[in-house]
Amino acid sequence: MELIQQVYAAVMSVAVVVLAVLIVISIVRSILGPGISDRIIAVNMIGTMVIMITAILSVMLNENYLADICLIYAMISFLGVVLFCKVYTGVYLQRKHMLADLKAIEDNLDKQAADHEGLQEEEVAR
Amino acid sequence: MIGEWIRVLVSFGLTVVGVAFMVAAVFGVNRFNHALNRMHAAALGDTLGLLFVILGTIIMRGLSMDSLKLAMVIIFFWIASPVCSHMISRLEAMTDESLGEITVLEKNNAVRVEKPDMEKKEKKSSAKKKKGGKKR
Repeated sequence: MELIQQVYAAVMSVAVVVLAVLIVISIVRSILGPGISDRIIAVNMIGTMVIMITAILSVMLNENYLADICLIYAMISFLGVVLFCKVYTGVYLQRKHMLADLKAIEDNLDKQAADHEGLQEEEVAR
Repeated sequence: MIGEWIRVLVSFGLTVVGVAFMVAAVFGVNRFNHALNRMHAAALGDTLGLLFVILGTIIMRGLSMDSLKLAMVIIFFWIASPVCSHMISRLEAMTDESLGEITVLEKNNAVRVEKPDMEKKEKKSSAKKKKGGKKR
């Protein structure tokens, strides 16, 4: 029984170390990411990996309360991502003086089409 | 005794598969160029990676209240993760200035950026231009 516990702890610590390295790589991506949505995706993935590490530790250390922490971390991570998306959508629409919320994607495409035609007309004029 | 070892080995196998899925997800997020492509890679780790790792811990723990809580994590995350993806993709579709562009990789590894066919949007865009002219 002791041997099984030791082998389990040894192999699971390797998995935890690999996940920690992946978290560091994701932090680098969240700093480098060119847009705001790239950063939010990286932060979401960091949350997933922290949940995995907590679940592994709860079995490895035989601590029961870490399962509760795992569940609550999942909820708070979800809330954080939804809040980030809402806040940045609102800030962008306010900055661009867009009125509609649901039509904003169409407005974005229409504006691109207008810019594209404008470029073509300039080329013709030259 | 042999039953214990079989349980440990199954748990190891599932955890290794889950960590391999996470490695693939992080590799994909760092490799792709656009945010929508990156989201496709990140969803892999959110669903299958979490499923396999927590299934490994549940099998190691056995049937108890804690393994039920860990199963609740899987259920909650599978409900919450598509909502997150929907919100992020809507944010990306609203704020990306080059949403309609298509990047084409040609045979000699040259990258060519194509503007999409905008003829369908002509009426709307001309109406937009009139509005813009009035404002100016």
